[in-house]
Amino acid sequence: MPDISLTVNGAPRSSSVEARKTLADFLRDDLDLTGTHVGCEHGVCGACTVIVDGRAVRSCLMLAVQAAGSDVTTIEGLAAGGELGTLQQAMWDSHSFQCGFCTPGFVMQATAFLAAHPDAGEQEIRAALSGNICRCTGYQSIIDGVLLAAERNRQS
Amino acid sequence: MKLPPFDYAAPKTVDEAVGLLAEYQDDASVLAGGQSLIPLLALRLARPAVLIDINGLQELSGISAANGHVRVGALTREYVAEESALIAGSVPLLAAALPLIGHEAIRSRGTIGGSLAHADPSAELPAVALALGARLVLRGPSGERVIDAADWFEGYLTTSRRADELLAEVRFPVAAAGTGISFQEVARRHGDFAIVGLAASLTLSEGVISDAGLAFTGVSDVPVRATAAEAMLAGERPSAPLFEAAAAVATEDLDPPADLHGTAAYRKKVAATLVRRGLQAAADSAATTGSTGRQ
Amino acid sequence: MAGILAERYTGASIRRSEDPRILTGAGRYVDDIKLPGMLHAAFVRSPLAHARVLSVDVSAARELPGVAAALTGADIEAMTVPGPDALSTLMGAGGPTPEFTLLATDKVRFVGDPVAIVIAESRYLAEDGCELVSVEYEDLPPVASARFALDPGSPPLFANLGDNIARPRSRNEFGDVPATFAGADRVYEFRIDVHRHQNVPMEGRGCVASYAAETGVMTVYAATQSVHVSKIAVAMRLGMEHDKIRVLAGDIGGSFGLKIGASREELAAAAAARQLGRPVKWVEDRGENLTASGQAREESFDVRAAVSDDGDLLGLDVKMVIDTGSYPGMGGMVPGIIEAMLPGPYKMTALGFESTAVTTNKPSYVAYRGPWASETFVRERALDLIARDMGLDPFEIRLRNAAPRTDPPAVMLTGRPLVGVTTIESLQRVAQLVDVAAFRRRQAEARAQGRYLGIGVATFIEAAPGPRSPDGPSGPMGMESMRLRLDEDGIVVLFTGQMPHGQSHQTTLAQIAADEFGVPFEQVRVVVGDTDLVPFGLTGGSRSATMTGGVALHGARQLRVKVLDFASHLMEASAADLQIADGRVFVRGDPDSGITVREVARQAAAGEFGAGVDADLQVEAAFDGGEGGWSGGSHCAIVEVDVETGIVAVERYVVAEDCGALINPAVVEGQVRGGVAQGIGAVLLERSAYDEAGNCQSATFMDYLVPTACDVPRIEIEHLETVPLDADVNFRGVGEGGMIVAPPTVVSAIEDALAPFGVRIYEQHLPPARILELIAAGPGEDPGGSHA
Repeated sequence: MPDISLTVNGAPRSSSVEARKTLADFLRDDLDLTGTHVGCEHGVCGACTVIVDGRAVRSCLMLAVQAAGSDVTTIEGLAAGGELGTLQQAMWDSHSFQCGFCTPGFVMQATAFLAAHPDAGEQEIRAALSGNICRCTGYQSIIDGVLLAAERNRQS
Repeated sequence: MKLPPFDYAAPKTVDEAVGLLAEYQDDASVLAGGQSLIPLLALRLARPAVLIDINGLQELSGISAANGHVRVGALTREYVAEESALIAGSVPLLAAALPLIGHEAIRSRGTIGGSLAHADPSAELPAVALALGARLVLRGPSGERVIDAADWFEGYLTTSRRADELLAEVRFPVAAAGTGISFQEVARRHGDFAIVGLAASLTLSEGVISDAGLAFTGVSDVPVRATAAEAMLAGERPSAPLFEAAAAVATEDLDPPADLHGTAAYRKKVAATLVRRGLQAAADSAATTGSTGRQ
Repeated sequence: MAGILAERYTGASIRRSEDPRILTGAGRYVDDIKLPGMLHAAFVRSPLAHARVLSVDVSAARELPGVAAALTGADIEAMTVPGPDALSTLMGAGGPTPEFTLLATDKVRFVGDPVAIVIAESRYLAEDGCELVSVEYEDLPPVASARFALDPGSPPLFANLGDNIARPRSRNEFGDVPATFAGADRVYEFRIDVHRHQNVPMEGRGCVASYAAETGVMTVYAATQSVHVSKIAVAMRLGMEHDKIRVLAGDIGGSFGLKIGASREELAAAAAARQLGRPVKWVEDRGENLTASGQAREESFDVRAAVSDDGDLLGLDVKMVIDTGSYPGMGGMVPGIIEAMLPGPYKMTALGFESTAVTTNKPSYVAYRGPWASETFVRERALDLIARDMGLDPFEIRLRNAAPRTDPPAVMLTGRPLVGVTTIESLQRVAQLVDVAAFRRRQAEARAQGRYLGIGVATFIEAAPGPRSPDGPSGPMGMESMRLRLDEDGIVVLFTGQMPHGQSHQTTLAQIAADEFGVPFEQVRVVVGDTDLVPFGLTGGSRSATMTGGVALHGARQLRVKVLDFASHLMEASAADLQIADGRVFVRGDPDSGITVREVARQAAAGEFGAGVDADLQVEAAFDGGEGGWSGGSHCAIVEVDVETGIVAVERYVVAEDCGALINPAVVEGQVRGGVAQGIGAVLLERSAYDEAGNCQSATFMDYLVPTACDVPRIEIEHLETVPLDADVNFRGVGEGGMIVAPPTVVSAIEDALAPFGVRIYEQHLPPARILELIAAGPGEDPGGSHA
């Protein structure tokens, strides 16, 4: 079993992990970070999205060993000191979610996208989030949350 | 859907990787981006005894220009290729296809080489490589081998890569002056695999088609180059009736598969539509391309 | 005192109290549960649709290091009590009862039927163990279609039934059917097919079962729509007393009808946990969810419509066949609801309805958001087809046939009064919002340029909970209960059997209770998901807005009365002079006097009082739905069809809806939009596909396609001013409506777009290839679909 060291939500973590274990399962089972959700295990639904070395990735499509030496951010790493980030606050204000299962994936994907495209319009945001599946909302409230966050970022 | 057990190796050099392939041959799978392989493992459809993780082979990353080609290391991430000004300017057909590959998160990890080595017959990059006559560079125990895209795709998820070879680099020809391109795709949803797709490249010289590259995805178990249609286009002036005729020639011998996403008849019909649309778009964009081949 | 005391929260889009945990990854779903010593289960599943099981050998699996147990169907039978499906029993489905075992023993009846359970230290190892189980099957001819199931020669799935008829043909008539059809100016006949599709919540089914031998208590952490119904299912199958079972649920990742009761897999996992003395977790993966959890909507309808030359729909005569899959689920109950709802809000005077339910080698028919939705599809499709044939406008034919709101109200043929229904208003409003005339001009211009735009409309009503009935309480499953308590720290706690899985009950119920009791929203807490704490209840049938909103309202009032009675002793004032507002109890007219609710609660908990003082600040409330009422609305879609590729884009979608008084508009709109998205998905993308051998062809998300953010447009929603029926409770359910009426709306628009080609649509699933087939066939005979 390979030993890996990586940074997760700013903290150094080390562990022994079976090579076949996905990053998603490693985060959830070994590090007790159950905020990242598993929705399909074949890379389509996006519920498992985390940020690795600045890029949004599907953690079900990475082996944990591939994240050795990397900087990983999960949903638990966003609210610094218990304060919701701008995106999370905007999503709260916009009633973005219902059952919440898809939420971490959307939040992480939107976080990465807004960082690279702070002035994106609605159609670009929809396209950027079209790889994340939500079954509850019909997406409009999620898009509104992202648009509101972008607007608030511009104002501050 | 948990992955089955396998032995894991993470070679640090290409020679080491090739050595492992020589040892394990068909018992090994190469892990690059993993965006195609890991789902197959999760579904337990792929059962390699050994997984050779080549993500540590940084020498296989990189984009550079040389001798009328753009050289793209096999490990180059799709998002890096998407952001490359060199590719945008010199291989516009590749640049047009890249944003259609899955979603951003897939392109964060997926690689140019991985897509071509996996050779999904509904993927975008195989059609691009075929339409442009790209060349694939393999490294094996006895050295380097360069293969034309036309000789690369052998069957469903099967390429002419030998079991002891590693795909190291892909060389895309630089678009000639007067070239216009179009990548057309019909997919069920944004980001899905193509039901049918067409990579089209037209080079015009004084208003006459001097070169054409047309390749389909989604119409067979391999990408298909429409050589007969290319031949009939050569020497002609672009026109709607010409493109209509080319569409018929390009599709008359197609025998596409049928699945949940389209019947054979549907794919054949749509393929013809994409030829008409693709050739028109390529011709239009050729008209605005300057002498340097850049827009 | 009518209405709610202080309307500060009710009616406002108050931010959800669920969201801080949802948005930070602190939600607790069943797969997040970790217990000491917990094991993980995986199932060996049949690769064949119909086969005898000759032998099951788990010995190699048992030897795999890390595997704690490998149990066959026979092993599980020995640990459980045989019996019928708990949900069917609860719902009183009736009909012949097939005999079957929790895990397959003698037969497998669909691809994915569980045959053995392997329990190991990790899910990875459990799956490895499953591969080592060897099963010998003897293939049987698969019954993969309703047509074959109806054939007496088809091999029966269940030996004790003798054939594949789950519910034999039964027929009812309302009004004078023969006379209506004989006297009609025109009779239309067509067949309408609805395809198989399914719930697909983002979280699949699952549970963690933990048995404590010392106490004999089984604790089950479940993903469920009702902890009590799950408990009943566990008790029945495990042969346990109810007081020895505790079912807990935290956050649930959606359900849409799937997670009711306990599945065969969950029951097998619980039985194994009891046997092993260690907790066992089973969470289904997406492959299992798509192939084994259950599916819905595979129904066909032979329709005859009696119509006057003026476009009056006089009567319908419908013959339905429903494919209920293999093991019993909800399929047997659906035809009865469809029959009851088929007349909709229209004036028709005759209805003939007959139905047959068959079993096939496919997963069970489960409840899926608006299980009876096909009644709206059939009726609205019929109206469109009639209108198109007669050259009538689709809005006009509906306005003509809708029953006007009269006093006394018109009565549906099937018995329920159409009291308070705003169908006409919603049709008129949605037509205004869309500006149909302007669209028709744009449509004509587009056609001249070879672009095909279409507009579609459909209307529906939903018994959410439906009007008060003389026979008893409104709503499915009768009365709604709630326990309300003023905690010693001053929090008003609501204990409800509702089990939210996206419905935002912890917010909406708190809004109502806060207003009614007189405390800030933050001073109310809603407790769900623990059979030790909450009364019986189930979230489903769009009941909670009325039933639970109503019991919260009345219960909070009752609690307020009790607290004021108690406070009157503390404050030496009569209860009639006291008021609660903003968390304070004070003498009416003197808000600065008095004490906080928190202080009252503290004193009640801490003090000692004489016999005349009731300091137990708690009430048990029950609500029968009051006057109840209908929900409904009209939807309108504008689509563009690329006639060369068959790709459909939904350009605009407009809703005029009436769900009574709104508790939280944002929550209502979210429910509508989510339902509409599923309806768009059903038409354009989603199909649970089977081949003639019964193999599932939609076993991953590559093939079972759900809509994404690029497939669902902005959905414009206008809330109609409702007709209040009750003095206090006019909230009505809205959870299912979007999914009920969106499919006919979208199909209607596609048919309108393709009108120049003479296309008529008799089915619900229209992938690109099918669109091109319909165009090529034109007005001629339907060439036959691209799917069975």
